[in-house]
Amino acid sequence: MSYLGHVMVHLRKDLRLEWRSRDAINGMLFFALLVVVVFSLAFDPTAAMSRQIAGGILWVALLFASIIALNQAWTREQRNRVLETQRMAPAPPSALFLGKAIANLIFVAIVEAILAPLFAVFYNLHIIGQGWLLVAVMPLGTWALVCNGTFFAALGLRTRNRELLLPLILFPISIPALLGMMQATTAILSGEFDPGPWIRLLIGYNVAFTAACLLLFETVLNAE
Amino acid sequence: MNFSWMFGSSMEARHLLYAYVAVWAIQGGYAGWVLYQWLRAGRQSRTVSHTDNH
Amino acid sequence: MQRSRIFGPVGAVWFLLTLAAIVYATRLGLLLAPTEATMGNVARILYYHVPHSMLSLVFPYINFAASLFYLYWRRRDPLKALTADAVAIAGAEVTVVYGSICLLTGMLWGRVAWGIWWTWDARLTSMLLLWLLYVSYMMLRKLSATGQTHTLAAVLSVFAAIDVPIVYMSIRWWRTQHPAPVFGGGEDSGLDASMWPAFAWNIVAWALWGVLLLAMRYALERRRQEREQEAALQAIEASLEMAQ
Repeated sequence: MSYLGHVMVHLRKDLRLEWRSRDAINGMLFFALLVVVVFSLAFDPTAAMSRQIAGGILWVALLFASIIALNQAWTREQRNRVLETQRMAPAPPSALFLGKAIANLIFVAIVEAILAPLFAVFYNLHIIGQGWLLVAVMPLGTWALVCNGTFFAALGLRTRNRELLLPLILFPISIPALLGMMQATTAILSGEFDPGPWIRLLIGYNVAFTAACLLLFETVLNAE
Repeated sequence: MNFSWMFGSSMEARHLLYAYVAVWAIQGGYAGWVLYQWLRAGRQSRTVSHTDNH
Repeated sequence: MQRSRIFGPVGAVWFLLTLAAIVYATRLGLLLAPTEATMGNVARILYYHVPHSMLSLVFPYINFAASLFYLYWRRRDPLKALTADAVAIAGAEVTVVYGSICLLTGMLWGRVAWGIWWTWDARLTSMLLLWLLYVSYMMLRKLSATGQTHTLAAVLSVFAAIDVPIVYMSIRWWRTQHPAPVFGGGEDSGLDASMWPAFAWNIVAWALWGVLLLAMRYALERRRQEREQEAALQAIEASLEMAQ
């Protein structure tokens, strides 16, 4: 089977498992909604101000929500010793990683698709800048979070305090990407400055870290 | 140790002193901690006993 | 441990030289260097702040290089890999120490010179993020399961090293697009020639001290590794005895 074939197998497996219970997506959605509400209480923005801060709030909400999904991303591999079997299988380990990361991307994208209109409603947003650029920014930003997040979730696999560790190591590394996604979104919403450099930053970040994740996943899987 | 005679304001003097003392404290403190741990590790390896099942 | 025979006298000499350099440099900075025209005497904090900032950008690379060596030697020569790992943790901890001092002295100076404890300018923010990265490295070390710690930490170190230039660039762009007050724009620009000796000596002194700290932390880690190996050997011996 080709590499892509392996990836598709892993991807389909994760999608199917998640579809059965829909735990992660429901949890993420509700959590993101709660975060948005809490921020609204914290800031109570006017229409003009909301365009400045909505980008930041959106990505913070998605960041926290995706931590929930990522934390249990690998637990289903741990049950029934699936992970050991994966290690022994001749399939390339990075395909396992890629399949799972793409699955997580799809889950978070579903949450975004539901959250974005809610955002527009809560903050009375209408886009002043080039709205179509959001179609580029959302996947790029989400991939930045999900790719590193899936990788670091695997890092903490056999750690005590696993759930604690993920945000502690994910957030510092993700800060440039977070800055990029928030600035790009704010630029598009407010139309006040150019999102171009930030989109380029996101692309560069994603290329660099996707490569790093793919190359180093096997090391992490066989860390003993 | 009163440096304020050298300075116009004592806030300057205080912050300068805080800064220098803080640096010595952090650097010395870290070095001291490493030394302490090193000595403790040495003592422990000498007193670790061999299990004897005979 | 044969190495301690070399470490002993060389270490002692290095320590004395370093201490002498620090005292000399501090004296230069505190008392002998001329008072700065605009900022006054409080600018003497910079004689400690700037060298620590510069050095805190060097130690991360030591951590990175050591982590790469660890990953390379991990399967090929496990004993060498352990040495590399000891250097890696030493580099990370010294980075955090120097970074903390940089942030702290920067804040104390900013408070007096500019009236504010903090500003999210390019340099400070980047330094804070560097500090966060290496603290997260140490958290990973602390929380990860034994046996895996070295490898996982080495991998995180690679990620951190990739991240450092990206952080630097992105924060700079951020501050170019949204300018904010800058702490000490004139810190190292327009430095008077008469202040150079104080700066130079402080850089030398704290670099020597940094190497000393690295060596000490390395020695500590090696001792801990040996203790672990002894304990493991004893466990094996005990199980062999019982099997007989």
